[in-house]
Amino acid sequence: MKKKLLSVLLCVAMAATTVLVGCGDSNNSKSGGDSSNGGAASGDENTLTVWCWDPAFNIYAMEEAAKEYQKDHPDVTVNVVETPWDDVQTKLTTAATSGKYDTLPDIFLMQDNAFQKNVISYPDAFTDLTDSKIDFSQFAEGKTAYSVVDGKNYGVPFDNGAVIACYRTDILEEAGYTVDDFTDITWSEYIEKGKDILAKTGKPLLSCVAGESDVITMMLQSTGSSLFDDEGNPDMVDNEALKKVMETYQELIETGVMVEVNDWDQYVGTMTNSTVAGTINGCWIMGSIQTAEDQSGKWAITNMPKMEGVDGATNYSNNGGSSWAITSNCKNVELAEDFMASTFAGSVSFYETILPSSGALATYLPAGDSDAYAKPSEFFGGDAVFAKITEFAGKVPSNNTGVYYYEARDAVGTAITNIVNGADIDSELQKAQDTVNFAMEQ
Amino acid sequence: MTLNKKHNLTGWAFLTPATIMIAVMSFLPMIQAFILSLQKGKGTDLTFTGFGNYVRMFQDSVFRQSIINTFVYLIIQVPIMLILALILASMLNNKNLRGKGIFRTAIFLPCATSLVSYAIIFRSLFAVDGFVNTILIKLGILNTGYNFLGHATSAKIIIIIALVWRWTGYNMVFYLSGLQNIEYSVYEAAKIDGANPMQTFFKITVPLLKPTILLTAIMSTNGTLQLFDESVNLTAGGPANSTITMSHYIYNVSFKYVPNFGYAAAMSFLIFILVAVLAFIQMKVGDKRD
Repeated sequence: MKKKLLSVLLCVAMAATTVLVGCGDSNNSKSGGDSSNGGAASGDENTLTVWCWDPAFNIYAMEEAAKEYQKDHPDVTVNVVETPWDDVQTKLTTAATSGKYDTLPDIFLMQDNAFQKNVISYPDAFTDLTDSKIDFSQFAEGKTAYSVVDGKNYGVPFDNGAVIACYRTDILEEAGYTVDDFTDITWSEYIEKGKDILAKTGKPLLSCVAGESDVITMMLQSTGSSLFDDEGNPDMVDNEALKKVMETYQELIETGVMVEVNDWDQYVGTMTNSTVAGTINGCWIMGSIQTAEDQSGKWAITNMPKMEGVDGATNYSNNGGSSWAITSNCKNVELAEDFMASTFAGSVSFYETILPSSGALATYLPAGDSDAYAKPSEFFGGDAVFAKITEFAGKVPSNNTGVYYYEARDAVGTAITNIVNGADIDSELQKAQDTVNFAMEQ
Repeated sequence: MTLNKKHNLTGWAFLTPATIMIAVMSFLPMIQAFILSLQKGKGTDLTFTGFGNYVRMFQDSVFRQSIINTFVYLIIQVPIMLILALILASMLNNKNLRGKGIFRTAIFLPCATSLVSYAIIFRSLFAVDGFVNTILIKLGILNTGYNFLGHATSAKIIIIIALVWRWTGYNMVFYLSGLQNIEYSVYEAAKIDGANPMQTFFKITVPLLKPTILLTAIMSTNGTLQLFDESVNLTAGGPANSTITMSHYIYNVSFKYVPNFGYAAAMSFLIFILVAVLAFIQMKVGDKRD
């Protein structure tokens, strides 16, 4: 009898669990959500929950910003939750598709390239900041443009992706050049000198990841042109600047001045193992370069080469970077806006604090005049690199990323792989444009 | 209540929880996915489009490319792997072989490695300055490193090699357990009748292992059609989409590009249909019971 009772009890317990697992989600997730993922905005009016991903960089910056703000507002707390970028994207996608916006934090950091896509796909997840206290004219125009959709500002620009060209001064010297020979030059001069250096030292000037379109988009943005026109339609086939960029890329590979590798680790390896004499990338690449401590003092930075024969071409461009967004789930938008306006978008002393240890370069233009930015960097030959990059950032032409930026980047990456293998530029660009057009007509 | 009825009820009582869970967690999402596949739009902004997504699939050049790639893997890799696994299993089934345990473990061990880490290891093995190129240069076969992952054909071959390495041992274990069910006396009788090892393999081992072969064939086909990690981590789909798989493209459409969940769900359903059709054909071919 006892046994029977026990088995009945067990059966009941099992059935009960099943029912709970099956249907109990709507009530449980609210209470469970807050504690388990730590991400949901707290109901507390004076707490801001923030998602960002790099402890040495943007998390550090956010925590410093919180300290700065708490000086005047001691009752405000900022709760930073470390969330890798891929997870931010996945969580946002999940929250928006399930309609559970209450799982979002008050503020999150977003990659510039993904900003427009997400605002347009999930408009209900963002807060419009156009009429807030934040003065967007204090930021570099090219940078702010990433987070503007339909003339409305949705993001506070944060870190800088201004393109720098880095050179190994010791290798240049071996071939009889200095960094000055590479400042304010054109791509044809770059290729000329690159061939010379290759012949004399056996080292290419540049490396890149095969099939990735970073080099192409950097070149293209430096001419003031984009993969999309103002209406957001792909602009590849009759884009003279893009064609010129493709030709230049092809020539860089053919002459051996640029080498292609297969992944990011190998790319960083070409620099740290001294296989190449330089690189061109967003200024955040300095972090990777500086991991090779034995090369301290042997690097120098300057601006990138300019595309000749294209109207409006410059020596400046952008690659990467991120901006802060305030979500629609934020309970106290006024507080979040005020917090942003008095730190990331209004405090030079804040940027001075975070610069030395994080190297977080501001796109907030007034910060560029600060003394902290004029400090020389030993690794880069005693140059005041931060001031230089802030100056570059102010000159970057804006880039229309459009919503379908990732589609376009992949299509162009496919095109350049085929072009390097001998395909015709015009027909490949046509194919790339068709691919993007196809993705857009859904 | 008769005893029979009672037994029946008890049986159903035990079955019900599992049945409900499978229905709620597996079949319900499938139906929801099918409804989703009939909608179009960006992110959450969805409208009904009927079978538009299914038509769209066949106009999508990248998706066509991914189907071709997946079937190349399927047609070349699955037979190689299964034949290799069968040969290894029948070799290891030899009663007089010493150190069987070590060999079995060594061949099965790749299955214990994570998909991502083995893909990354293969990527570094075949890098321009990687292990394989270094060996080839040292042996004087190549002058400079060959970019294996930078060329369409060699990149595909490397994915196939990687898959064979990773999954042969897994299938071999199924064959080994299948071989336990074949009476040793059958082999002894064959030996007495003067059959050579080749004849024993083709006349005894293969026919008696048929159900297991069928099982592994269906599982491998299923697995290959859903191939994802290798394409993402080993080659990133490149060069120029020449190694991208269907699942990888579906991932891109939902998470990397402007999210188009309806279209992604429709493509997933195509994979589902392909798996079902191929499994059905294999079962018809394999089943000779009449």
